[in-house]
Amino acid sequence: MSPKMMRFLFMAPALVVLGVFFVYPILLTFYYSFTDFTGVGTPEFSGLKNYDRIVSRSRYPDALKITVLFTVIVVVLQITLGLFIATLLQRLPAVRNFARAALFTPAMMSFVIVGYVWQFIYSPYNGGLNALLTSAGLEGMTRGWLGDPNTALIAIAIAHVWMFTGYTTAIFLAGYANIPSDIEEAGRLDGASSWQRFRHLELPLLAPSITINVMLATIGTLKTFELPFIMTRGGPDGATRTLSLEIIENLFRSYKFGFASALAIVMLIIVVLVAFIQNKYLRGREDVT
Amino acid sequence: MKLTQILGGASALALLASASLAQSVTLDVTAWKGNEAEPAGMEEIIAMFEEAHPDIAINFSYISRSDTDVVIPPRLQGGNPPDVMMLDMKLVEVWGDAGLLVDFGTDSEWFGRVPEGLAAAIAPDGPAYIMPLEVIGMGLFSNLDLLASVGIDAAPTSIDDLKAACGALSEAGINPILMAGGFPSAVFVIANGLEADTTPVADLGNGTAKFVDDEGFGATLDTLRDLAGANCFDPREMAGVDPWSTALNEFKAGNFAMMPHGAWNIANFSEDPDLNYVFGPVPSPSGTGVASDLFGIGWGIASGSEQQDAARTFVEYWAQPDVLQIMLNAESAYSPFDDGGSGTPELAAPYDAARAAGGVRTYPYSVGQWPASLDPEVWDSLTGFLLNMDQDNEDILIRWDENVEDNL
Repeated sequence: MSPKMMRFLFMAPALVVLGVFFVYPILLTFYYSFTDFTGVGTPEFSGLKNYDRIVSRSRYPDALKITVLFTVIVVVLQITLGLFIATLLQRLPAVRNFARAALFTPAMMSFVIVGYVWQFIYSPYNGGLNALLTSAGLEGMTRGWLGDPNTALIAIAIAHVWMFTGYTTAIFLAGYANIPSDIEEAGRLDGASSWQRFRHLELPLLAPSITINVMLATIGTLKTFELPFIMTRGGPDGATRTLSLEIIENLFRSYKFGFASALAIVMLIIVVLVAFIQNKYLRGREDVT
Repeated sequence: MKLTQILGGASALALLASASLAQSVTLDVTAWKGNEAEPAGMEEIIAMFEEAHPDIAINFSYISRSDTDVVIPPRLQGGNPPDVMMLDMKLVEVWGDAGLLVDFGTDSEWFGRVPEGLAAAIAPDGPAYIMPLEVIGMGLFSNLDLLASVGIDAAPTSIDDLKAACGALSEAGINPILMAGGFPSAVFVIANGLEADTTPVADLGNGTAKFVDDEGFGATLDTLRDLAGANCFDPREMAGVDPWSTALNEFKAGNFAMMPHGAWNIANFSEDPDLNYVFGPVPSPSGTGVASDLFGIGWGIASGSEQQDAARTFVEYWAQPDVLQIMLNAESAYSPFDDGGSGTPELAAPYDAARAAGGVRTYPYSVGQWPASLDPEVWDSLTGFLLNMDQDNEDILIRWDENVEDNL
């Protein structure tokens, strides 16, 4: 058997899985996006009606804006916090392993549990956060955190960051483990302060970890719907209605599989574009460093 | 001797097998009632049915309403449907149109006992894909102890009485009404809008008429604004209250005097023997209040079922008044049939009185008069209205019209 045939045979199972569970669903979704399929029966062709509705109703561009804003908030907070904690733990080897496990625990919890716990924390009546503020003499700051459109999105973002910062930290710590210790040593011997070592030595060498974290966080958050679904159902009045939530609502509440498919295709294009641009920039940055 | 014994044993086994084959049909039945939280008399009625029909066994599966959307369609499409399924009109519209449900026909015995209005709703185009099981009320829960503490001895049924109650409660430092964004405010607005009856209900849902032009719904939004001004509720606070958890817990804890919601909460609230409350109609300008009836659930048979005769027997068993009464008692609901009874407890007497006085308005989504997607849009838009009550009524109502248009 030729080497080429051997390579193909070894790749074949993976290609089949990729084709069946990735390529085929995308093609089917693309087909349904031009129909009025309700999930049962036979889909009927409806042309560009679904895409026309996406651009002509402000609801869907608004959902896209909310999704992007949510993603930016989560990625910035999560990466910053993850990097900060990883840098701290890097300098505290005694507690590093325990802290890493403890920080990772929220990522292992189910979205439903996390959603309900934070919903209680944010509850306007006897919720944990309002109770804490009242006991600290800050009663004027209490509010319905999830009921105020000015705070609902960031409140959900905080819950999301709480859940996944440990994951980000773990990746940064793995990045730190790849930095040769003699570089650190050299920096110390040259009299560089902790901040200088971080800024000029560690941060550039953490570029691959930053790339992975930013890409994973961005793609994951762009697609997220669980926490907005559980905590606010997209409210108040659409203030937390992400594009993924819009897809789920159209699929399983309105039975508009065709329209939901069109939304899913739009989301796919956006995610692919963002991933491509991010990858190009961040990988290029890795090469420079 | 040994051969004779073997042959005799084999014959006996064959006889037993053929007897059991002739005897039993097993029906696969799915429903979003019948679990611990909402027993709905399901277990009892199924046991009674099996005793009355020893040739039919029931294999019952509880599937929540939201899971029904996910679990059942693939089975319907894949040719492996349940025999009998719990349905609501949303599912009837989608699955019936796709030919996946059996048409009971409008000449069946039970269809003749369905009131005209409901009959027209469940069989709008001829085929009847659902046998109704219950109609359940949506109205105003009122804490009698809190009302009595400010000298009010009955739940309000008019807008003026409601405002007066709010004023008295508010002065006494008691939270008057949980007009939460989403469901409770929608119950109030839709009930009052329907009572105004300025436009045929179905016309608003099929695009023939516009909500933005309807005086009734416009006036109801003004009423909501007036209630906020009368210290009935803090609209911005109410916009953030979850109507399915926080609102229910707050009313049950006695922190609010009144709350528009559905009668299905009666079982939950009645768990607290210290909660002295009644369930009445939604207060309205008429003075008698609006009994907002929701046609909830029914049985349907999959057209792909291989046990259609047995399935019909099961479905029709539930149409008997004494059988259905078991479910109505468990659900605090009303029979959908002319000769049926009511399962509502004494504390729902004000709601019963409003029904008897002709104050019934059927919730339009539940009978397919308005598109299903309008329901969450109304909830969202009313939440937005509570967040900013200075906006024009038109800004709210035009969203409803756009939603209707998107569903045409």
